[in-house]
Order: sequence, then C-alpha cells, then structure tokens
Amino acid sequence: MNKEEFAELSAGYALNALSPEDLAAFEMTLAEHPEWSGVVAADAATVAALADTAPSTAPPLTLRSTLLSKIATTPQGEAALTESQPAELAEPEPEPYRDPSPTTTTIQAVSRRNWTRGLFGLAASLVLLVGIGVGAVSLNEMLNRSDAVIALDQIEDAPDGQSATVDVIDGGTATAHWSESLGKVVLVSNGLPEVTSDETYEMWFVRDDGTAVSGGTFAATAGSTTELLDGALEPGDTIAVTVEQAGGSTTGAPTTEPIVVIPTA
Amino acid sequence: MVIDGVEVPEDGAPPVDHVGELLQRVAQGDQNAFARLYDMLSPRAFGLILRVLVDRSQSEEVLQEVFLEVWQSAERFAPNRGQGRSWVLTIAHRRAVDRVRSAQSSADRDVRIGFRDLDVAHDGVAEQVELRIEGEKVTTALATLPEAQREALTLAYYGGYSQSEIAALVGAPLGTIKTRMRDGLSRLRTEMGVTS
Repeated sequence: MNKEEFAELSAGYALNALSPEDLAAFEMTLAEHPEWSGVVAADAATVAALADTAPSTAPPLTLRSTLLSKIATTPQGEAALTESQPAELAEPEPEPYRDPSPTTTTIQAVSRRNWTRGLFGLAASLVLLVGIGVGAVSLNEMLNRSDAVIALDQIEDAPDGQSATVDVIDGGTATAHWSESLGKVVLVSNGLPEVTSDETYEMWFVRDDGTAVSGGTFAATAGSTTELLDGALEPGDTIAVTVEQAGGSTTGAPTTEPIVVIPTA
Repeated sequence: MVIDGVEVPEDGAPPVDHVGELLQRVAQGDQNAFARLYDMLSPRAFGLILRVLVDRSQSEEVLQEVFLEVWQSAERFAPNRGQGRSWVLTIAHRRAVDRVRSAQSSADRDVRIGFRDLDVAHDGVAEQVELRIEGEKVTTALATLPEAQREALTLAYYGGYSQSEIAALVGAPLGTIKTRMRDGLSRLRTEMGVTS
C-alpha cells in the first residue's frame, strides 16, 4: 500500500466510517509504517475541529457527581480495560409524551420523572462499585455514639459493607456507607453548604422503578454530619439528597434536582 | 486566549495543551485532574454526542461511557501525537457513532434525517444536516468544499454512516466516497489551518 492509499484509509478512520475489513487493513498498515502516524494525527485533529459545529451543551449536574463517584472505585490501565468493560446498557425507554404547553405542575412532574428514570438507568448499568472499607469516624463521634455511628460500625463489620464518595457541586463531599444484608445506609457529609432556615436536606432511597422513598431530613450545621437513613435499603437502590422546604417535601417525593446521587448497585 | 483547555497564543508560538497535561495527571490516578478535565470538556463532548444521537437520555449514557473510558485509558494518550482535546473528542465521536449504529438508534436516525421517507431526494440530505451547523470557522471552511465532499464528511460525522452506507445512500461507488472523504478532510485542514 502506498501513502496515498493509506491517506484514504486514515480519513475514513478519523471519521469512524471504515468497514471492519478496511479498519483491519488500516491497523495492519499503520503497524508496518509507524512513520505515517503523522497523517493519522492530522486527520484526527481536523475531524475534532468539526465538533465545534455542535453547540456546547452543559450535561446534567448529576452526571458529574455520579462519574466522580464511579472513577473513585474504577481501576485504570490495560487490565482495567479488558476486565471491566461497561455492561450492556439497558434498552432505553422511549421518550415520554410531552404536552406542547404543559402547566407548571406537569413541568415539575415531568422533570422529576426524568431524573428518577435517569437514576434507574445509571443504577442498572456500567461499572460496579467495588466494596471498600468504611472511612474513619472522628473521635468526637465515637465518644458520642449516635444511632448513625453505631450503624456505621455495623456496616463496617458486615461482609458486604460498601461505601462511595461524591463531590457536591456547590462544595463539600458526601459519602454513603451501606450494607444490603443489614439494609442500612449511613450518609456522612462534609462541608455541605448551609441551607436557609426555610430549607432542609432530605435523603432518598430511589428504587429500581424510579420511585423515591424519603430517608429523613438533616441540616448541614456543623460542617460535618453523620445520618442513618430511615427505612430499609433494597437491592439496586440509589441514594440521593435533595434540598427541600423545612420539614421535608410535602408531596413525599423529591421536588428539586438531587445534589448527591450514589448508586449502590 | 484559552479555548476548551487549549491555549491559543496570539504570537504564533506552539499552543499549550492544558487538556493533555490534565490527561497525563489522570493517567496517574489524579481524581482532581479528572474533575477539571470533565468541567473543561464535557459541554463540548455532550454537544457533539447530542448532535449525533439527538436522544438526550442516550446521550447522557454515552457521555458517561466516554469519560469512564478517558479515566481508564488516559495512559494511552501520547502527548506527541495530537492534542488532548482531539483525543477526548475522538473518543466521544466514536462512542456516539457506535451507539447510533445499534439497531433502534439507527432507525430513529434514519427517520430523523429523512431516509425512510422515499420522497426526500438524496441531495437534500446533507443540506438538512448542515442546517444545524454553527461553528463559524469550520462552517466557513466547510462551505468552500465541493458539494460531494461536504456531503461525504457530514454524513459520516453527524450521521454516523459508514463509507459503504454513504456509497449506497448517494449512489456513488465506494472508491469514490473514500476519495471524497480524503480530499474533503485535506481541504478542510488547509482552509482551517489545523495543526496536529
């Protein structure tokens, strides 16, 4: 193959448009002619410039915290790539029908349905969180053993105890510790922004089918909190935290976008 | 001036590849560097994926796949072989195209672009795709290409069609499509002054 012919393959490769046979020919030829890799790099740079024709679009904030919690437990490198390819994604649901001019109430309902459905997709797919030891608890909390701290010890001792930490967009971190066999979840937060006196943080179990069950409320006052969620963890649940009016959501369901999303499966 | 993490100097010095530097830190397991990389490039990558896939919830899934792959394979990024930004956007495009080629998505795409509608003439296809193009510099450069080259590039890049699919769609021999893509990219590079 001469360089002109290779340039055709390289252009098709940069555009992800090669047939499997041509792709094999491209890879074989490049291995034989490493000196032609400049052609490949130039084509890749040109094609990447085409991305500028699509308007920049901010992804949902929840994706960021989900990703950061995933990478915290996802191994890197060659071994990781062969062993933990993302699982086959669930068949996507069709877009729900949307009235062209929804009322305020239905806008809220649709928005809530969308994010809970998104959580379901996340929980059902991709990389498994690997079980890791429960983080250290401050001395102060050890001396003043609340229900939450006792539960935290139990989770740490449980053979299936796991935890995952996410960064919160507006500052601070949140770590969920859980054990399916105990059915318990403890949420430890650090440095969450303080909410106004009219508001509270509310914790949720988001079930496989997207319904959210309240796990109680808490206020981020002292900078660090340790809370045992009310209610029992079910396999496949996602733990979420939203900001609600004081006393918690009156509808029994989240009314705002979650600031913390931690899949447990 | 910094565009998507690439410092573009006004004096013609080689650009500083911030994304490339972050990628090298990510390869060492630096999670803060990963978060910064995500903040820098996720809107651009998400816009691209949405352009190809249209469906928002599928695009969100693909965006996650892309950044997980970035995390896992950052060590494969070779700083002397193209900039970090290109490397990440290449992964984003490949993942989006892989997804659009899965059966259901490509049916949706065909409906969207109008191929399932037999009344739509072939030469209208690339035009429809182009209606949504915005980037000024690239658009200007694309506009200088002969129609047939522009059609081949846009169908591949935004439609996710393979060369043989494009050959069938526009009714030209496969070899012709391959040549159009090569010549189109080469001309685009000259028009935009892209360096690798």
